[in-house]
Amino acid sequence: MALPRLTGALRSFSNVTKHDDYNEELADLTTKRLKLHEQLLKSDLTWKKIIKFVDDNLDKKEYQTVNGDLKTILQAAKQIVGAENGQEAIESGAVFLFKTFHKKECVGHDETKAIKQMFGPFPSSSATAACNATCRIASHFTEEQLTALIQMAEEQNGDNRVLFGKNIVFSFDMHDLDHSEEMPVNGEADAQRIISLDY
Amino acid sequence: MPALPLDELQLTEKDPKTGKLRTLPALHPEIKADRSFVLYRPPPVVRDPALVEEFLERAKFIADDLDWLLALPHDKFWCQVIFDETLQKCLDSYLSHAPRKFDVLLDCHPEVNDMQKRLHRSVFLTFLRMSTHKESKDHFITPSVFGEIIYNNFLFDIPKILDLCVLFGKGNGPLLQKMIENIFTQQPSYFGDLDETLPTVLQVFNNILHKCGLQCEGASAEPQKLEERVNVTPGNMPLQELKDIVLYLCDTCTTLWAFLDVFPLACQTFQKHEFCYRLASFYELAIPELESAIKKRHYEDNSVFADLWRRISHSRKKVMEAFHILINQVCLQPILESSCENIQPFIEEFLQIFTSVLQERRFLRDYDELFPIEDDVSLLQQASSTLDETRTAYILQAVESAWEGVDRKKAQVTKDPT
Repeated sequence: MALPRLTGALRSFSNVTKHDDYNEELADLTTKRLKLHEQLLKSDLTWKKIIKFVDDNLDKKEYQTVNGDLKTILQAAKQIVGAENGQEAIESGAVFLFKTFHKKECVGHDETKAIKQMFGPFPSSSATAACNATCRIASHFTEEQLTALIQMAEEQNGDNRVLFGKNIVFSFDMHDLDHSEEMPVNGEADAQRIISLDY
Repeated sequence: MPALPLDELQLTEKDPKTGKLRTLPALHPEIKADRSFVLYRPPPVVRDPALVEEFLERAKFIADDLDWLLALPHDKFWCQVIFDETLQKCLDSYLSHAPRKFDVLLDCHPEVNDMQKRLHRSVFLTFLRMSTHKESKDHFITPSVFGEIIYNNFLFDIPKILDLCVLFGKGNGPLLQKMIENIFTQQPSYFGDLDETLPTVLQVFNNILHKCGLQCEGASAEPQKLEERVNVTPGNMPLQELKDIVLYLCDTCTTLWAFLDVFPLACQTFQKHEFCYRLASFYELAIPELESAIKKRHYEDNSVFADLWRRISHSRKKVMEAFHILINQVCLQPILESSCENIQPFIEEFLQIFTSVLQERRFLRDYDELFPIEDDVSLLQQASSTLDETRTAYILQAVESAWEGVDRKKAQVTKDPT
């Protein structure tokens, strides 16, 4: 339950705020997840580009080994995303898994959370398979090559990527309850109790 | 060539529908990104793993989105802020529901604490950017247009400003002061809004009195039906109700004080509603009644008593400090800063305020203990040779009388014998 606040009363009873209807936001998490899926589909890095990158940078023998791992990732994505969502969604899911695991050796807490946040509950064996396969693929490339590939997915905000206020010294200190020196303990309260009754 | 303000800039871009080049104002809804900000919910009260996970998921969405927002270039940032209602609701939900340090203590998971800190900083930086009309020599908005934008789109409103003060005023006071001063300077309509809000603030005081079963101003205007008469007092109400009233009182007093502390220029507007008198009269009715109820009640857990007592003591102090800021800003500062010919109205205001609160004996005593009234009267005597000594003597006599018969001793002022 919301705590009673002065500003809560002012929002409800004064005429100086925009009276928003928050009921429609009950499903905002679902909307947000859908939005992230859409963004994933629009990503500049596609599954086809990953395959081309592998094809361009490895000889035929190496490619055949790696090809099996690529199929493993795609299969894992199918199980995580759900086959019913179509090939496009599965491929974008595979890109997401590749991006998530390309610098990892195992499925950690953060990776589990990231996948769950994007796709909801998923079989952990699929994540492990995708992680192992990505790890094996990544071992064929230098860090620079992988970074260049992944950067294709970065959002372009124009040339200004500096976070506003990054140099501002921010304090987490907040107003707390004052420590009153006068605070009586139980036994000393009687004298003042008499005073209080005068009013 | 000097850069144009954002509100006058035009952008040429390819129309995504027709493919033809078109010219748009830099501040245009079509430039806003489709982002879908989610609402903030406070951390769970208990360490339930599912609730913690839900909080973290929601909070991470917001923190990532705010990082994205803060990295946007000036023009895109403002398009998002103005035209994205989900962002405005998200920020408002944070201000409304973010835990204050004086709320009931939560035993949060360390990950929740870290995420809360990340959010806290990002929200502050977002409001900082929203209150800055000139970000650099090339990125700025015409001040008057900036004033219109923040006001017409409710980017700031009085409750939000109050929330900002209570959430960020302690650690980031100087910066927050600049932000709020700039908002009020560029858009004086906020003074009007504050003026309109104050009756609601006073109504909050009345509601607290009403919940305590105490008569409040205006309550006698309508006769009460006999069957409606209920004898609910802080002494006999359920404990949870008493706790809620004390929490509400604590939040109300701290928030008002935090706002006046950051933005003392608001004092004149407060005093237009005789706020000093209303504050003292509210104190006189509510505090002794609540103190008495807290002390008399039987507690199964003594820490509940300690917590309630601490909150009521804190609230008392904040009322005193708020009153002092008002007196200082409305009367004392102008007297110190003005030349002798101009100080008479401020002296008169001081005398009127104190004359109006003389019957509030408990308030007078508590205020005098923290901020000796004699010192202020002495300042008046030094500043004006024509001070009405009869009136000041009357006030000081009433203060002395308020202390009579009280076990608690007035702090003795150490006077220099020379």
